[in-house]
Amino acid sequence: MIFKSKPLWGEKTKLKSSYDVVIIGGGLHSLATAYYLAKEHGITDIAIIEKNYIGFGGAGRNTAIVRANQRTQHNVPLYKEALDLWPVLTKELDYNLMFNNCGNLNLMHSEAAMKAARMTIATAQFHGVESHLIDAKEAKELVPALNISENITFPIHGAMFHPPGGIVRHDAVVWGLAKGAAKNGVEIHQHTEALGIETKNNKVCSVTTSEGKINTRQVLISAGGYSAALIHDMLGIKLPISVLTIQAMVTQPLKPLLDHVVSSGAYHCYANQTLKGEVATGAHMDPWPNYTTLNTAHYIKHQAEALSEFLPCLRGVRFMRIWGGLADMTPDMAPIMDGNNQVEGFFMDCGWGYFGFKSCSAVGKYMAQFMATDQCPDIFKPFALKRYEEHRLMGETAALVNYTPDN
Amino acid sequence: MMNRLDHMPTLKIDGFRKIGFIYKKKKYYGVEGDTVATALYANGIRIFARSLKYHRPRGLYSLDGECSNTCMEVDNIPNVRCENTLLKEGMVIKEQNVKGSAENDMMSFIDKMDWMMPAGFYYNTMHKPASIWPIAMKQIRKAAGLGTLSPDFEMPGIYDEIFPTTDVCIIGGGPSGMMAAVAAAKKGLRVIIMEARPWLGGFFEYRSSQYKPGKDKGSQSLHDRALELDREVNALENIRVFTHTSMVGAYNNNLITGFQIGKESDLFDQRYIEIRAKSVVVATGCIERPLIFDNNERPGVMQIGCALRLANTYGLLPGQKAVFSIGHDLGLEAALELSSLGLNIELIADIREDGQNPELLQKLEDKNITLLKGWVACKANGKKRVKNVELSSIDGLASKTVSCDLIVASAGMTPVTGPVTIAQGKLKYDAHTGFFLADKLPEKIHVTGRLLGLDNPLSIETSGTIAGLQAALDCENCSIKEIGDIKKSLKNLPGPTRGTKLVTAPVKGRKSFICFDEDTTIKNIKQAIEKGFDVPELIKRFTSAGTGPGQGGIPGHNLPLYVAKYQALPDISIKPTTTRPPLVPTLLSTYAGTNHIMLKQTPMDKMQREDGGIFRNIGVWQRARYFSNDLTCKKEIENIRSNVGMLDASTLGKFRIHGPDALKALQRVFVSDMSKVQQGRMKYSAMCNDDGCVIDDGVITKLGENDYYFTTSTGRAGQTVEWIRYHTRYDKWNFHIVNLTDSMGVINLAGPNARKVLAKIVDMDISNEAFGFSEYKEFNIKDCIPVRAMRLGFVGELSYELHVPSSYMLSVWLMLKDAGKEFRIQNFGVEAQNVLRMEKCHIILGQESEQRTNLLDVGLEFLWDRTKADAKTIGAVALSQAEKDKDRFKLVGFKMEENGRAPHDGSLIVDEKVRGYVCTARDSFSLNEAVGMALVDGPLSKIGTRLEIYEDECNGKRIYGKVVEMPFYDPEGSRMKM
Repeated sequence: MIFKSKPLWGEKTKLKSSYDVVIIGGGLHSLATAYYLAKEHGITDIAIIEKNYIGFGGAGRNTAIVRANQRTQHNVPLYKEALDLWPVLTKELDYNLMFNNCGNLNLMHSEAAMKAARMTIATAQFHGVESHLIDAKEAKELVPALNISENITFPIHGAMFHPPGGIVRHDAVVWGLAKGAAKNGVEIHQHTEALGIETKNNKVCSVTTSEGKINTRQVLISAGGYSAALIHDMLGIKLPISVLTIQAMVTQPLKPLLDHVVSSGAYHCYANQTLKGEVATGAHMDPWPNYTTLNTAHYIKHQAEALSEFLPCLRGVRFMRIWGGLADMTPDMAPIMDGNNQVEGFFMDCGWGYFGFKSCSAVGKYMAQFMATDQCPDIFKPFALKRYEEHRLMGETAALVNYTPDN
Repeated sequence: MMNRLDHMPTLKIDGFRKIGFIYKKKKYYGVEGDTVATALYANGIRIFARSLKYHRPRGLYSLDGECSNTCMEVDNIPNVRCENTLLKEGMVIKEQNVKGSAENDMMSFIDKMDWMMPAGFYYNTMHKPASIWPIAMKQIRKAAGLGTLSPDFEMPGIYDEIFPTTDVCIIGGGPSGMMAAVAAAKKGLRVIIMEARPWLGGFFEYRSSQYKPGKDKGSQSLHDRALELDREVNALENIRVFTHTSMVGAYNNNLITGFQIGKESDLFDQRYIEIRAKSVVVATGCIERPLIFDNNERPGVMQIGCALRLANTYGLLPGQKAVFSIGHDLGLEAALELSSLGLNIELIADIREDGQNPELLQKLEDKNITLLKGWVACKANGKKRVKNVELSSIDGLASKTVSCDLIVASAGMTPVTGPVTIAQGKLKYDAHTGFFLADKLPEKIHVTGRLLGLDNPLSIETSGTIAGLQAALDCENCSIKEIGDIKKSLKNLPGPTRGTKLVTAPVKGRKSFICFDEDTTIKNIKQAIEKGFDVPELIKRFTSAGTGPGQGGIPGHNLPLYVAKYQALPDISIKPTTTRPPLVPTLLSTYAGTNHIMLKQTPMDKMQREDGGIFRNIGVWQRARYFSNDLTCKKEIENIRSNVGMLDASTLGKFRIHGPDALKALQRVFVSDMSKVQQGRMKYSAMCNDDGCVIDDGVITKLGENDYYFTTSTGRAGQTVEWIRYHTRYDKWNFHIVNLTDSMGVINLAGPNARKVLAKIVDMDISNEAFGFSEYKEFNIKDCIPVRAMRLGFVGELSYELHVPSSYMLSVWLMLKDAGKEFRIQNFGVEAQNVLRMEKCHIILGQESEQRTNLLDVGLEFLWDRTKADAKTIGAVALSQAEKDKDRFKLVGFKMEENGRAPHDGSLIVDEKVRGYVCTARDSFSLNEAVGMALVDGPLSKIGTRLEIYEDECNGKRIYGKVVEMPFYDPEGSRMKM
């Protein structure tokens, strides 16, 4: 029989009093970092501390889109590597991550947007990432359900087509990485809450948890939307992060209808069809900071209005489930990855907003390298916290963003 | 009358009114009042669909749409739940997800392959070698999904939306809901009832048993009582009843959403309803908890309510020979009723060893119906339909097989807790009822009736009255004492009934389905638990149970109960999985409602369209971008450079700020020293954010002491008031901001002949001496139209920006047009303006600036006044700090080498790395060469630097430009000052 009944991420063990590395948060970035620490660097004495169950947060709440057509040269190589890693990880972990590289179609609704797309496309091409500007007719050939008529709020001028992107089964990544990490000796402690980090002479010395105290030299906080609050509470480091609720939803399952991920900035909406046939859609964030994952009435309505316009056939399908997750937004839509800077032995990986899923594999790889060698990899250097002190935002979006409660 | 029972008062069909429909290309008939599924059932159809994974035959199971068993394609709309979709004349109904037909599905062999497909099998297969995966994926996609939707499908129908407010919103129009409504309404409150079925009555409505059982029974049936309550509700004018309305969402502060299905007389097919209520009563009652045994979803297996309502509501006998396997008195009651209607009851297996209503037991005995206490169905046999059932005692020791064509099965009742959980109420497992009962409720939400575990009709009703009064108390229309009195009377009535705990019959569970939609079996759940997925939420994810079209409808409470039982967990730790909205799958067209396009139009919209304007939606506005099909706008540009033209600039943000502290507020947000602006003068300036990035620019005019008129860019108009308020929030300053964006229009009259045109319609001296460059004038046209005129030079020519009240815009525009006739005045659009200003190197924010650039980087340093430190100007600190940083982006002008063409906007400036990008570049008609502006790394900004330009799709071929002085056109600015 193909099926073997063995716990996927190891038998439950009791928390030890000391580990080489403690990772707070049981999401994708944590699991990936642990996996690479154990596999590539031989550091296996690792405890992952998760308050709920692995994949509870953003890892299981995203819409699983992956792509490498970001705007700036600091981001593109990182996401490209992440994209290239899906088939590699599928093989390494011997776990089918179900990478569907169907390509992403990002709709443009104005001349200005077409110009912005050209810059992004040129950046991708310059870095060897496939991405093309296509017109509305070509977009319609790729996605026959598109409405390219003029009589909608934001008529479609064209699109940025990025063939190597697509969708990965997010739960499979969580479980696959957990399996891979556990196989290499990493301990995953679910239903265990991290309560504090103790330092001595500005060096990390231990982590207090609901299951006891752990002595350790290195701690990584990569707890998704909860990171900024944890980092502030535990170490007093203030981060320029606003936590916002982001919502996503799925329709009832359909036979194949959308062969590509379709997204639109103007409509604040993306849609892709999962392998199960559901149309998963989302994108909008309610612009007031909060730590709830509650849904709002207007949002599902907005989404229906938007899809009714640019994918009008979907008017005949039903939404069956909506959920919320947290997005930890920075002012420049780029993450904060830093280590040994504020406190020796303390590493952070946060501020991913809604890019945490697509980046997890590559970030895990380099964060492991960072922690194992205590040397910041070049690819991480632009993401250090000090860029905000220097007023050097990363330009991952062209627009200026502001997440105060008043905007 | 067709083959229907016709004598019961509970019937909702009119057997004499036939309704024709097409099923699988053949014509069939139902009757008025039928749902699609009951009409098909009446025509002998038993297999409605095939299941998602195993292509198992599926039939009518419940009538309330908890699963996808009766999902079919109706009039090209996929996944329609036929069991609660009313039949309409001419409907075209097709089967879904079958190869062949639902009756003979060629894919049904997969049912035998289940051993290959344990829980989560796809994670462990199809990836070795990697080349298999793309092929496998294609097959998975084809196999998955239920209905088919054509990409050019157009949804017919009218979708409306309403947003009522009310005092009390009651979810569920059964006995407790109606009682609550009456109680609240009698307290003078406005009440809304939402009822999912097309009629009120709920748990009473379809039953003909006695309303008041026991000694003092009258002749009133539960059905009669339901009608009585219905009449009472309808007699109260302050109760608004929405029938055929499903509640789907609950949000903070009692915002309840739902949708209503229109009757034939309604002007909508469906309408979205969003209710803001002061208080909410959840009276959703119970559904039956599915009984899990082998083949528990075989056509011929149905729940008690389904069997009973088929007969009592739709006049259809559900089968010929029935075996009941139940765990609730409703099963006994249904057996008696159905038996008297002609159904042969072979046997009733009751999960309960004791506790049955003795009256019902007596009647069963009178009718000679065998009741086996402590017995349960274990396996339904029959390939496509039930042929017989294997039963056993709960301990599995005794067993027997009974032939039948109908198995009425359910494990007991379970409350419909969805509305409670999505309203953020917390549930707690209750061992006595076996229910998840509301534990902690948010403020002003109440539960009532069967949700409390009550079962007795009088208890249900009394609890409804209590809930209604509690809601009235929330609205301050009721006393606590009054509620206390009624609560006492509830104490004297029967309390919550003991519930059954059994989830599965004593079976291994290979073909015992806990979730029908996803074909998840008990065996799958065990497999998941063994794999380490130990909490229901993870098991749900791993096995997909409860993630199908019916969501948690079938597995809802069974999953946590089973998991707890299997893991031998204590009651306290039994927690249901999260229920998520919408509680009933809802059409996108319903959510979208009327879906208005709500873009703003300027006062000149119509006229510019008539003049051939090609419009674009920009932000919240519609604007004329071109005035011919020549998208380079050659004629429009040349006309401005040599003659005169008019641009509608009404979309500019326009504000008045006044009050004692108005100047202080301006000093806070604008980087320039606003105190230097003299009365009747104006100044161009910019606002920054805390990083020194320019967020907005505009012209500020001093109208009087602490009274200013200022403009913002089109895109920022909406945020400006908030921006100024936010950044002065601790200062307690006294000023007012009035948004004049929509009440004022703007005409930009530009070109060397502009003065001649304007002079013809004004009665004052507008010579260069009297009204010079960068000056401001107020005057009236024809003694009545007030105009604020500014001499600005955005496009680099003599020009007047005329700010006119919106209502006069058309008049002034026509006067100018008339006055300009002799010069052949022309319209010009946004793109022509874009090129004209680019030649002058006047920036547009967002086009020549971005997140990485501050005021200094884009060459607006001259606006910044460093001396007004006291003003705490936003961004000033950052600007001082960034001033020394030479590596920042800088805005530069460039020309192309060897008279080359302009690069595409957005092209990169590169060496080995990306060093910047082209903001705007054009082949300039005015200059006869290609020019543009780019943002480049500081070191590349020196005049004369060669720029290597990388365009998209260039295949490695670069083009080159050179950094030159800005502006390109009329560097001395003499043309705009003439």
